[in-house]
This record gives sequence, structure tokens and C-alpha cells, in this order.
Amino acid sequence: MVKSLNIFVLVKQVPDQGSKAGLNPDGTIDRAKAKRMLNPFDRYALQAALHTKKQYGGKVTAISMGPPPAIEVLLETIEHGADRGFLLSDRRLAASDTLATAYALYKTVLYAGQFDLIFCGLQTTDGDTAQVGPQLAERLQLPQVTYCEDFSLENDKILAKRIIEGGYQKVVSSLPGLITVANSYHPLEYKSFKGAWRVQQLQRNPENLQKIIQTIDLDIIGADPDRCGLKGSPTIVAATEKVGDLGGNCHMHEGKSPYDLVQEVLACTNLQELVSN
Amino acid sequence: MENDPPIVQFCPKGNVLVVAEQSLGQIQPVTLELLGAGRILADKMGKDLHCVIMGYDLGDLPNQLIHYGADVVYVADDEALQYYRTLPYRRVLVDLLDSLQEPPHTMLLGSSTTGRDLAPRIAAHFETGLTADCTELDIGPYEHKSKVDPTKLGLYPNCLYAIRPSFGESLKARILGPWKNPQMATTRPGVMIPLKIDTSRQGQIHNIPVKLNSEDLRLIVAETVKEVSSGLKLTEAEVIVSGGYGLGSKEGFELLEQLANCFNSNAIGASRKVVDLGWIPYQHQVGQTGKTVRPKLYIACGISGAIQHRVGMSKSNIIIAINKDMDAPIFKFAHQGIIGDIYQIVPELITQFKALQNKSALGGKSVVGSR
Ligand SMILES: Cc1cc2nc3c(=O)[nH]c(=O)nc-3n(C[C@H](O)[C@H](O)[C@H](O)COP(=O)(O)OP(=O)(O)OC[C@H]3O[C@@H](n4cnc5c(N)ncnc54)[C@H](O)[C@@H]3O)c2cc1C
Ligand SMILES: Cc1cc2nc3c(=O)[nH]c(=O)nc-3n(C[C@H](O)[C@H](O)[C@H](O)COP(=O)(O)OP(=O)(O)OC[C@H]3O[C@@H](n4cnc5c(N)ncnc54)[C@H](O)[C@@H]3O)c2cc1C
Repeated sequence: MVKSLNIFVLVKQVPDQGSKAGLNPDGTIDRAKAKRMLNPFDRYALQAALHTKKQYGGKVTAISMGPPPAIEVLLETIEHGADRGFLLSDRRLAASDTLATAYALYKTVLYAGQFDLIFCGLQTTDGDTAQVGPQLAERLQLPQVTYCEDFSLENDKILAKRIIEGGYQKVVSSLPGLITVANSYHPLEYKSFKGAWRVQQLQRNPENLQKIIQTIDLDIIGADPDRCGLKGSPTIVAATEKVGDLGGNCHMHEGKSPYDLVQEVLACTNLQELVSN
Repeated sequence: MENDPPIVQFCPKGNVLVVAEQSLGQIQPVTLELLGAGRILADKMGKDLHCVIMGYDLGDLPNQLIHYGADVVYVADDEALQYYRTLPYRRVLVDLLDSLQEPPHTMLLGSSTTGRDLAPRIAAHFETGLTADCTELDIGPYEHKSKVDPTKLGLYPNCLYAIRPSFGESLKARILGPWKNPQMATTRPGVMIPLKIDTSRQGQIHNIPVKLNSEDLRLIVAETVKEVSSGLKLTEAEVIVSGGYGLGSKEGFELLEQLANCFNSNAIGASRKVVDLGWIPYQHQVGQTGKTVRPKLYIACGISGAIQHRVGMSKSNIIIAINKDMDAPIFKFAHQGIIGDIYQIVPELITQFKALQNKSALGGKSVVGSR
């Protein structure tokens, strides 16, 4: 690589699955009630971005759209070694579907400046659509590699391995491009001392914090409010219904010797006809 | 794109369009499933079922789509379309939709790695709604009462109901977007039901032009590694013993082999993770991007139970899971769960299944003896 790369990574704050996610009657999420965390799939995207920086040189910019507490996930990316962040936060974004989300993120990316590579997570654990990455790529008219398990950069090209049914594909794409990173990519490394120290310093000094993590709204990035939020969303969640358990009322066996555990299982099942003789 | 038309443009017209998926000269099962579902939706509205297929040297495939329920098939046959690539396929679809007098009412793709790559690009281009990974589809009326956006108020007939599991499958959400066509959805493979093939069905086939520019060719496929033949009896075996990352190394499969051999009709399965690690070949992979299996007994050893694995095996008659983590998702849908170490439990299973074998052998003798 000749020049220093501008690497963007998109991260979303999601309700912690451990805690029961608060759902509004209309099926949208009550983010005030739910505990929050960095979307687990975005950890792989962050790792890919940091790896690219380490391997080829450059600067990592993390971008998130969400209510003010979402700054937590941007701070987390800085602890891991990201250089700066943008938080798009605006009430008019509430209840955005993927099309409206991708539009708002597109405007944010343009505001954040030059980029060579954009990394997204494969999907989120709340909306779980895997649509935002490709929709953002469409807005930006970029080639994309989805379900990417591994990649390298050579002569201004992306060499990537992506998952397909029954196997995998190796592709070569031009830069700039957008990659959605599969959860079979390398797990996120530990926070760096330098990053953790940096975040500590930033939290003591709000003025510096705003320089490193800019909080922006629709007016600052020049986004059309009619294309955002409920108004800009062609879909709505019309109804939700509890499904209950997954059906498998699992009979658990634990805390005994292997012999007793297996005895118990055999007592609960009739497998006689399946064994060979 | 800044001057795109507004979102609200209600139009009750238009047909149902299925985007077919083919690979190595075969129509993918999810396409036949979509034709089955699409046929029902089209009939409910009194519309036609259209289908578009892209690829190279497609031969008889367009006819097959008619035999499985399509009224009209659009065919884009070009060397550049030999392997699926986002941008060329996107271009052909965008051009097709632009050439139609009215957009399709409903547009369906499989939620495969192809469909989920392509559908969002089309939806973003046309600024229309897209529901991901549906497990049910229907047509029905909808009255929008929320006044947040007054332009959307009203009663809409013939809306696509796109229903999808959410939040780790604990909720089902019904997603609607009647305001603009095409109303798009991807559907989960293995869920919808194909029609029986009817070779007497008639339909129209239209060839459509393929006009790509250099922008569309920014990505090339260097290599595709895909299992073609399914020589393995994975889908026929009565008992599948399956191994995951919890095995710790590929040698673990030798132990699973011994366990499998306790059964008359057996096969070895695996999670994608261990296939990727090269512990076992692709033919053994169970799940969304592997095989869908339905054995009488499925023994999952050191498999966490990710959704992509589950969709390939959850219909097994009996699922026994062995995992040392009591919070592993597999215990949410297994029938018998053993919390423990594979290397302690599996040898014990082998011993006790062998004992069962002897018992049934004895049982067999005593029957003979009593005659
Ligand atoms: C139950 C339920 C079902 C839904 N179903 C649909 C549906 O079928 N169709 C639809 O259009 N909308 C749907 N939505 C709305 C959707 O969840 C939101 O639009 C959400 O803002 C983005 O979609 P996602 O969470 O699915 O992201 P995904 O597309 O799964 O996210 C992929 C990647 O995009 C990036 N990304 C996504 N959101 C952000 C963000 N806010 N900030 C930064 N990066 C981000 C991340 O890198 C992420 O890993 C649904 C919502 C709920 C609650
Ligand atoms: C597009 C896409 C398609 C995919 N398709 C598939 C697919 O077709 N099939 C598939 O399987 N996956 C698929 N995956 C991957 C899937 O998401 C999971 O990553 C994968 O299934 C995990 O494999 P695993 O359960 O073996 O590993 P892990 O999730 O790492 O689980 C290992 C488990 O072993 C347990 N364990 C560890 N040691 C022991 C021990 N000594 N004794 C007992 N238990 C132990 C652990 O507690 C853990 O639960 C796909 C992913 C994507 C993104």
C-alpha cells in the first residue's frame, strides 16, 4: 500500500441479550429500559479494521447511529485502538428501518470524509437483518464483499474469502469497498493499554472528547429528515407475537458421574431399535 | 439518488416476482420454495407469478421454473453472469424492473448468502421496504392509524405480510410496507413448500438484455469451492453424530466415529466452524450453508447451537446435546442435554450403547429360542 488507509468501521449499540430487551407495544425497542452493549458481530468488524490498520497502516474511524448512550460503544472502539469516532444522534431518527438507517449512515460517512474501506458487522443481535451493510454500499455505489471470513490487501485490491452455500468463494475487488465481516473471522483482541489510557483521559476532558468523538445530528450532516426515522422508513413492525420456547423442552442431565448421566439419558429415550447388532 | 421519489406511492397493482437462484446448472431448492409461496400470493391477488433467472448457459432451467409454478420467466444468460456477483446481478435486475410498465407488487428472494447480498441493494436502489429472513408470507389488508406520518394513514388492501422470527426466535414480527412497490422479502431456506412439478404447465419465456459497464465489473470471482455431489449418506442416515469446536482437535472425530458405529445407519456431521478449520470435509457440514438433516437421532458433541447450525438439524426426532456450558444455546432446542465434557461422556455412551447392542442381540436369540 502506498498511502495511509482511511478505514471506517460501523458499530451499533444493542440491548444486552442477557437482560430482557424492553419492547414497545409497536415492536420497536425501548432503549431506555434495556441494558446495552456493543453488537457482538461488530467486534469482528472492529478487529478487521484494527488488523487492517496494523498490517497496512492508516487510521480507524468508528461510526455509530443511536441515542446519546451509544457513545459508550464508540469509547469501546477507542479502547481497542480506533483513532476517532462519530456519533449520529437525533430524535428524528427514531424507528428507522434499514433503508432509513442506511441513508443516515450514508450521510454520516460522507460527512466523516475520505475512506478506502468500510467494515460492517454481519448483522446485529436486535434487528438481525444483515441489510444495512449492502444498503449503505448501494448508496455509496461501492462493490461489496458480504459474509467475509478473511481478507488481505494487495496492489490496491481486496482479496477476500466469503462464505457461500456448501463452500466458499475467493474474490478480488477494487478499492474503495465495503466488507461485512462474518463471525468466523478472528475474534477481537484485548483492549490496548494505550487505548484504555486514552479513553480515561478523554472522559476527564469533555472538550477533547468532543474532538475525538464528534456527536452530530441530521442538520450538521445535511440529511433530509423526511428520509429518516418513521417517515423515511418504507416498512413498519405491524405486530409482534411471543413464540415462547423453541419447542425443545430440554431434559437436562448434570452433576453426576458420566456413567449415571448416560444411564439417565438412556432411561428417557428409546434407542434400542437404532443400535446395530 | 437525492431526487428519489417519496416513499409513499401506494399502488395495489403489479405481479409477484421471484428472483431465482441457480448454481452449477441447478436451480436451488429455495427458489422452488419461493415459487410455491409466490404462487399462493399471486393467486390470492389474482395476479401472475413472474420469475427472473440469471446465469450462463442456462439450458432448460427456465422451463423448469415454469414447471414449478411460474407464468412468465425472464432469462439473462451471459458469460459475465456465470458466478453470482453482486454488481452484475444488481444491474440486470435494476434494468429489468426499469423496463417493466409497473413495478412488481411483491418481490421475493431466498435468504441465502446470495439473496441477502443482493436484495438489500435492490431495495436501497428503489427505496423500497425489505423484510429479512421470513418464515411466513401472506397477503391481506392493513389499516395504518398512527398519525406520526400523516401521509401513511389509510386502509390498504392486498399488502404483503412478511413474518419473521426476532430476538433469538422468541418473537415473531409481522413487517409491512404497503406504501411502495415492490414490497420485498427474503425467505429462509427450507421453510416454504414447493409445488409438485408439472411438466405440462405452460408459460412465457423472455430473454432480457445484459448490459454491464466497467463499474459493474469491479469485483471478480477468483475461485469457487463448492461441494457438488452429495455422495455422503448424511441426509439418509438414521443416526448422525455431529462434532463441533468443542472437540478441540480433528482427532476428536475418531471418537465420534466409534460412537456412530454403534448404530446401524449412521453418519458423521459437523459444524461449519470445524469444517472451516479443516478438521473434516465440507460434505459433513450441517446447517444453513451445509445440509439439512432429519435423522431419528442427532447427537451434538461440543456444538454451541448457533442459529445457522440449528436450521439444518432442528427437525431431528431426538436431539441429544453434550456441552460443558450449561448456557449453550443448543440446550434451548435439544431434547436431552448432558452438561459435561465430551471426552468423559462419549466413551461412556459408547460403552452403554455397546451393552444395548449385546442386549438386543441376546433379545434376538431368545426370540428364536422360544419358537
Ligand atoms: C423485531 C424487529 C424486526 C425488524 N425487521 C426489519 C426488517 O425486516 N426490515 C427492515 O428494514 N428493518 C427491520 N427492523 C428495523 C431495523 O432493526 C433497524 O432499521 C436497525 O436500525 C438496523 O437494522 P439491523 O439492526 O437489522 O442492522 P443489520 O443490517 O443487521 O446490521 C448490519 C451492520 O450494519 C451496521 N449498523 C447497523 N445499524 C447501525 C447503527 N445504528 N449504527 C452503526 N452501524 C450500524 C453494523 O455494522 C451492523 O453490524 C426490525 C426491527 C425490529 C425490532
Ligand atoms: C452465513 C453463515 C452461514 C453459516 N452456516 C453454518 C452452517 O451451515 N453450519 C454451522 O454449523 N454453522 C454455520 N455458521 C457458523 C455458525 O454461526 C457458528 O459459528 C458455528 O455453528 C459454531 O460452531 P461450533 O458450535 O462448533 O463452535 P462454538 O460456537 O465455538 O461452540 C463450541 C461449543 O463446544 C463447547 N465445548 C468446548 N469444549 C467442550 C468439551 N470438552 N466438552 C463439551 N463441550 C465443549 C463449548 O461450550 C461451546 O458451546 C454460519 C455462519 C454464517 C455467518
